[in-house]
Amino acid sequence: MEVMGNNIDVSYGDTSILKDVSIKAKDKKFVGIIGPNGSGKSTFLKCLYRVLKPNGGSVYIDGKELKHISIKESAKKVAVVAQHNFYNFDFSIEEVVMMGRSPHKKNMERDNAKDYEIVNKCLEKVGMKDFKGRSFSTLSGGEQQRIILARALAQETDCIILDEPTNHLDIKYQLQLLDIVKELGLTIISAIHDLNIAAMYCDYLYVMKDGNLMIQGKPKDVLTPKLIKDLYEVEADISEDKYGRTNIIYYPEHIKRGDKNENSNSSL
Amino acid sequence: MEKTNRGIAEKTHLYVMLTVFLLVGLVLSILIAVTIGSTRIPFNEVYKVILFRLFGVGDPVLYGTGALHDIVIFIRLPRLILAVAVGMGLAVCGVVMQAIVKNPLADPYILGVSSGASLGATLAVMLGVGTFLGSNFVGVMGCVGAFAVSLMVLLLANVGSRSNSVKLLLAGMALSAVCSAFSSFVVYFAHDKEGMMTITYWLMGSLAGAKWENIVIILPLVIICTLFFWTQYRVLNLMLLGDEVSITLGTDLTKYRNFYLLIASLMIGFVVYASGMIGFVGLIIPHVVRILVGTNHKRLVPVSALLGAILLVWADVLCRVIIPKNELPIGILISMIGAPSFIYLMARKSYGFGGKQ
Repeated sequence: MEVMGNNIDVSYGDTSILKDVSIKAKDKKFVGIIGPNGSGKSTFLKCLYRVLKPNGGSVYIDGKELKHISIKESAKKVAVVAQHNFYNFDFSIEEVVMMGRSPHKKNMERDNAKDYEIVNKCLEKVGMKDFKGRSFSTLSGGEQQRIILARALAQETDCIILDEPTNHLDIKYQLQLLDIVKELGLTIISAIHDLNIAAMYCDYLYVMKDGNLMIQGKPKDVLTPKLIKDLYEVEADISEDKYGRTNIIYYPEHIKRGDKNENSNSSL
Repeated sequence: MEKTNRGIAEKTHLYVMLTVFLLVGLVLSILIAVTIGSTRIPFNEVYKVILFRLFGVGDPVLYGTGALHDIVIFIRLPRLILAVAVGMGLAVCGVVMQAIVKNPLADPYILGVSSGASLGATLAVMLGVGTFLGSNFVGVMGCVGAFAVSLMVLLLANVGSRSNSVKLLLAGMALSAVCSAFSSFVVYFAHDKEGMMTITYWLMGSLAGAKWENIVIILPLVIICTLFFWTQYRVLNLMLLGDEVSITLGTDLTKYRNFYLLIASLMIGFVVYASGMIGFVGLIIPHVVRILVGTNHKRLVPVSALLGAILLVWADVLCRVIIPKNELPIGILISMIGAPSFIYLMARKSYGFGGKQ
């Protein structure tokens, strides 16, 4: 499935939040959007998943304009895992995942055996099968995000949008969640904070700053010390490890860049 | 942590058992309650009258006419059946309102319904508005007031931008203030002590006015609305997740919220008409049931309906017998007993809207 946002403009009153941003996610590609806080990543994604109506521009799913697709239909095509949000309800995890089936159900239709089967399969995919029967509120943050991912999977969509889903998660759960997503072979559009993780998982990167699209391309081509300096005002070094993977090392102000040779040897 | 892990899904059989238990409990409650009253009637006589009415079995002279027959058929039974309808209606509306405004403090009267009803009743009692509506014109005016205010809340919340939970609550509060101000205004200038007493009593709620001709409308209405809301469990669940998540799950909540509010107001309007304002049932029952079966509306709606019905049947029995030769207004009794039990439940379990908050 191909998802496209063309010339998206968003403004609140006189303040322009997004200026003419176009992004394209090709079939089965993992597309990342990076940029500092407030650069408009989430705002853009919200336009894709219909929580926000852009003031200009349009979104296309497989060539069809989003305007002409019902909310129910688009929920069968695009699922969302948003920033970590707590629900303080005593829903069991099966009940939460079952909600992912709602776009496929008619108003008065009951859950059937197939729905339960799908719920089980999705729980298995995210490695939460053993947690069956637990209530959602008793899970840790990482576990909760995996359940929300399972709910997105239960929608049986070809595309998943990740709106900084790994915020507040420790590194183990960040990698675990993204590993699961990467394995799915779906079209993925994700806002990502951590540049090392973006480099590791994304096939293609869009870089945003102040509501503008700055640059786009393969992670290796996009991520340069200059870009990082421009974006975040942080000095950085980029190297490749023996497997050809990108590593970014940051140099905050208290570590002078000139000292980097000594620094790379002693972590003190 | 482990203690709160209650494994709701594994309790499916428990839920089924609970539902069956409550259903049997409701029938038994009615059968027992019908034998209790200020006039002592042997219970086998009571059942013989009912059997005669239902199936025509027994002696028509003994069980088809007379004081015994009239007490059972025209006084006790209608009250009990009305208690079932009112309890069910209040509990289900409580569940629905809490979902609509996404707020655990909501009860059936929250969106201006109570002050609308009392304004209607005040106008009826003090100024005689609507006397042409028949003997229960106070009830009719209360019902009209309640429904009219709900409609206005709905309109007001949809002005400008689309309605949401917060706008509904604010519109409800604003209109409540307007209605109570007008009620007070009327009461203040009417100088009618007796009228004030009438209003006060009416606001306390009572099932004493039960009549079969009302019940044949209210009971089916409440049951149909309850069944309707039961089928809507999926949307009601989504309401607790909020608008943004619901859109990504393919449901635009706004139209459902408006529609549900309309149906719930209709139900509440009829309940107010039949029984005045009975508080607390619609607030406490949904919370108690969440503690029992969890937040899923697939279970919450039917169990609340049954528990609400049982509660009101017994509350009404208590009202009739607790003070000899006198009847306690049911609203007072329910709050007096209900509130402390609810506080106990809350204190015993760490509980907020069906989770930990």
